[in-house]
Amino acid sequence: MSRQLLLNCRLCLSTFGAHYRQSPLQAGSILIGIVLAVTLLIGVRATNESAIASYGDVTELLSQQAHYSIVPTLGSKRLDESLYFELRTQGVSNALAVVQGILNDQDNRRWLVQGSDLIAALTALSSNVKHENKTNSKTNSTKSNHTEAGLQSSRPTLLNNELPLAALISGAPTVLMSQEQAKQFTTENPFTLNGVKLEVVGVDDTMNLGNRLLMDISLAQTLLGRQGSLSYIALFGDISKQIDQIEALIEGSGELNERDGGESMTALTDSFHLNLTAMSLLAFIVGLFIAYNGVRYSLLKRQRLLTQLQQQGIAKAPLMLALCFELLLLVIAGSVLGFILGLQLSHWLQPMVSVTLEQLYGANILPGRWQWSWLLQAMVLTFIAALLACASLLIDLIRQPLGRNNNSLSQVRNTAKTQKIQIIAALFLTMTAAVLMPMSQDYRVTMALLGLVVIAIPLALPWCLAQLVTLLNLIAPKGLIGYQIAETKELLPPLSLAMMAMLLALTANISMNTLVGSFEITLKNWLDARLHAELYLRPGETQMQEVVTNLEDNSKVDSLYKQWNLISEVSNQPTYLLTRDPVSIKDTTVLKSTVDDLWPDFFTGKYLLMSEPLALKLELDLGDPITIAALDDASFTLGGIYFDYGNPYGEIILAPVIWQQSGFSQTPTSLGLATSEDINTLKLELQQRFSLSDSQIYSQEGIKRQAIAMFKRTFSITQVLNSLTLLVAAVGLFSASFLLTQARMAPMARLYCLGVSRRQLGFMVFSQMWLIVLLTCLVALPTGAILGYLLIHKITLQAFGWTIHMVWDWYAYGQVVLLALLATTIAIALPLYKLIRKPLISSLQSDLL
Amino acid sequence: MIPLAARSLPSVLATLSPRLLVLVLFTSTLLLTACSEPKRSNNEGGDTGSMGSLLGNKSEGFTPVLPGRSITFPADHQAHEGFRQEWWYLTANLKTEQGEPLGLQWTQFRIALAPPMPGSKQRDKIRGWATDQLYMAHSAVTTETSHLASERWSRAHPQLAGVDTHPFTVKLDNWQWQSQGEDLFPASLTVSDERFAYRLTLSSHSPYQLQGEKGFSIKSLDGSVASYYYSQPFIEVEGWVTPEKNSEGKGETERQKVSGKAWLDREWSSQFLNRSQQGWDWFSLRLDDGSALMLFQLRGEQNFYSARRMFADGRGHNIETGMIQMSAVDWHQIGDNNYPVSWKITIPSEQIEITTHVLNPNANMPLSVSYWEGPIKIRGSHSGEGYMELTGY
Repeated sequence: MSRQLLLNCRLCLSTFGAHYRQSPLQAGSILIGIVLAVTLLIGVRATNESAIASYGDVTELLSQQAHYSIVPTLGSKRLDESLYFELRTQGVSNALAVVQGILNDQDNRRWLVQGSDLIAALTALSSNVKHENKTNSKTNSTKSNHTEAGLQSSRPTLLNNELPLAALISGAPTVLMSQEQAKQFTTENPFTLNGVKLEVVGVDDTMNLGNRLLMDISLAQTLLGRQGSLSYIALFGDISKQIDQIEALIEGSGELNERDGGESMTALTDSFHLNLTAMSLLAFIVGLFIAYNGVRYSLLKRQRLLTQLQQQGIAKAPLMLALCFELLLLVIAGSVLGFILGLQLSHWLQPMVSVTLEQLYGANILPGRWQWSWLLQAMVLTFIAALLACASLLIDLIRQPLGRNNNSLSQVRNTAKTQKIQIIAALFLTMTAAVLMPMSQDYRVTMALLGLVVIAIPLALPWCLAQLVTLLNLIAPKGLIGYQIAETKELLPPLSLAMMAMLLALTANISMNTLVGSFEITLKNWLDARLHAELYLRPGETQMQEVVTNLEDNSKVDSLYKQWNLISEVSNQPTYLLTRDPVSIKDTTVLKSTVDDLWPDFFTGKYLLMSEPLALKLELDLGDPITIAALDDASFTLGGIYFDYGNPYGEIILAPVIWQQSGFSQTPTSLGLATSEDINTLKLELQQRFSLSDSQIYSQEGIKRQAIAMFKRTFSITQVLNSLTLLVAAVGLFSASFLLTQARMAPMARLYCLGVSRRQLGFMVFSQMWLIVLLTCLVALPTGAILGYLLIHKITLQAFGWTIHMVWDWYAYGQVVLLALLATTIAIALPLYKLIRKPLISSLQSDLL
Repeated sequence: MIPLAARSLPSVLATLSPRLLVLVLFTSTLLLTACSEPKRSNNEGGDTGSMGSLLGNKSEGFTPVLPGRSITFPADHQAHEGFRQEWWYLTANLKTEQGEPLGLQWTQFRIALAPPMPGSKQRDKIRGWATDQLYMAHSAVTTETSHLASERWSRAHPQLAGVDTHPFTVKLDNWQWQSQGEDLFPASLTVSDERFAYRLTLSSHSPYQLQGEKGFSIKSLDGSVASYYYSQPFIEVEGWVTPEKNSEGKGETERQKVSGKAWLDREWSSQFLNRSQQGWDWFSLRLDDGSALMLFQLRGEQNFYSARRMFADGRGHNIETGMIQMSAVDWHQIGDNNYPVSWKITIPSEQIEITTHVLNPNANMPLSVSYWEGPIKIRGSHSGEGYMELTGY
């Protein structure tokens, strides 16, 4: 029995194969849909996962990952190195002393310099490699990632490395740099830091030096001028048994911190990655629309064939099985192709994401990685989605009576029914979202609700289009134009899927454009208010006092503004505590809301000000009490909330009085100055006088330029994905129009026989499609606006904590409408051209064959 | 010039110890499973960039080992930084209060990464992080049922690792040999690891034994390779050991009182061993007649033997090479390595005919360098106990 089934199934499959050889376009359109869907899904996934994995995988340079670190106590910047010796003498051997700082090279480029006890670093790495090799052979490599294993074995160890160890630990001027960076320095163009000529040794990229410089602590302490002090001590391995001992040892001189394996960074960038994931899912759905459309079309085209097969004695079971097999094969082929393309896409996207994450969050992104399991997941997901999408078609096919081979009438009736169901579902989804949306406080929930709206929008489209065309029909003149519009209504059902995909893409695009445009304007306004000084300076700590004294006496400087800050934690949120001089606080804090008569009580230290993102995260409102751990749990009242954009950390402004009483450093961290002189001349003068690098002195213009450029990058990746989605939709529209126009060759040939000129015919076909597309764009206008509104006032506010004023961008809207029209035009022109060149008779016959 | 082997890893390890060298040369592929093929070249000019070449590979610049140098104490207990490698090597055969036998080994190695610079003595006084000296320490505790081995590395640094004059100290992190004065004894030896810990009080009243010709110990048939080598085979030990901390490593589970005898070797040199030599079998034995026997063979195309019989009052004599016969009688497989754990040793001129038996056959040291080292017992014409080191298998 089952053998018979399989045999029949095979027979069907070979028949289908022959069918697709006859019309490769049908298989092609299904494949394109799957490929596009999987490509975007995998591309974004690889990008996201690689970034998230990077947060957790941060290792000490040239060593292994540390689970704990000892950092200076709050307020002080250095650890005394005697602490390191003490730890090791007391048996904490898995420790690594690190000193780091920033130095400028001869071209005034900034380098993050890290100096560590290289012997300790390599020892830890050696024991780690040994350990990992052991576990690997035991578990037969639990990690499915091949590159991972390769990475391990290529890491250097104490006894096997290509490093000039003797020179490094003897304090010789030798630095390690990633090969990429090292290339630019030769004997003719030597590398100089702080005036010391250094020999550059390029190391393999697997060591993940990135843009950092690594050297032995002996040299680093000298170059940075920090003899006897450390930035932190990393502790490797499982020290849980020694924690009490360590804490007793460092009492008063340092703090033991558990490294969270990137959790805090992941939390910080959570919303960013969620945005990407949402975009990729959207693209996946759009891709599936195309695939579904392809499957439907090919089934429709094969209806006669399927009936014939049944008439030849093939039962329904093997037929269904064969159809499912066919789908599976297409899904596998499409997924594999999509997987490869997706990885390539991620390869292109990653630098963009890395830049954003590094600039915005200070995260260090490692080279990409991928897993075979993603392919399997993509396949299963695609197959299930495709099967679900095609289920209704297949069920229809089973129910179809054998004798019938023309079902056009029932199709029309069906269409009306389907549209009704769709519009009801759409209304229901919209209602649900509308009711729940105001209650949601978490951006993840809001995002899910937004998902409902996104599904509702295309569901409502066929009904809306049908209504719009019916309306047009009422006012249309009789004759050819009347016929044209009436026929457009008939064209809607086969095109509705492609239109749904198009609408989704259009809506997403319009709303994103609105978001980005609005953000830029808001940001510019905010910066204008926030920056009041002409020049901003950040000299080093040691130099600060000298610079302050000098500037205060400088006749060219009209007024001097100061800022003090330090990073701390408030309710487990990494937060900057800062204060400024009273004038700066009053003038440059862009307040969102305040208590009445804020300033007098603020300056006495009763109130504090909090940035909007932090206030939202902590769910605090004006008048709420706050205690700050760094100030010995001193209690304050929240007196005002101010706008703060692009800062991943929370921010709290304290009264200067509080700062002075706190015992924090009284040396300002940065300065601003107002002048009536020429800014560039003064900038140059100060730069030379205090030998400040470009990164230590900024004009107001410079800051604005950089801020805008940086924040634009936050959205650049989303915009790229958006354009890709639109492109996918355009491909979908193209393939749908292409298939449809081919299917309409016979009626058009009939019209031609009735005396409609080719010109008129061509114009007719084009205008019909344009009409449909324009109507879709019309629907996309309000939906895009709604989505944009939700993105700005719900998602962005909840996820990033940024209030943005919505600004509508007609220009961007016009652009996407044009793009949609262009895709349609190309899609119709090709089959139409074929139609014109074909003999009339074959077109007339095409309907029957 | 002796034809030199490898310029990468093996050469580094070779500098640690002639005892370890051979094993390094010939088991390098085992050691380097995760590493690239070690480069082997006799060409002085090639192979730059590896750690080996940075070591200078040539013994040029390092102080040569020549006959006729007189060894003086306590000066020669200190580190000889002009020489390429050096060690302080203690092995002890102890018993717990219950009478259970227990073996213990502690070694601190010194490796010079570069030859001394003229005037570097001056710099040595003020140096902090910058140095050209590396230290490595090994320690192991062996009982009949368990064998625990551990390793530490550090650069020379006044606070971290090194050798001090007064009081005499050899240390690396929290592993410390600390004497009361400038002499090696009396001293305490403290070692603490995640899995074991011990603290021993060491005392000796016997004179030091200079090996070879007044401390000049030849390591090859042609006499081209040699080291300075002296021993103290008669050390009294008291103290405590925690042979194995409990599985959570918490607390000092069973701090067991131990007592027994120990043996100290001091050796330093600058040159590699002959490349044709494959490995090393070394014995330190205390016989029941109160004498001690140091014996080693270097395996190669032609084996090289060296031995010395020593007495607690300071007397001692070297044994003629031709009189030494030794052969393995039992082998034990650990992982991929097959070790000869039992030997028959015959020295007719000394009326010695003994076989050795290990306390625990699994006493291999799977550290940066992998070798076998553990306590043994002897039976035959004499009974007694001691330590055995096997390398190059």
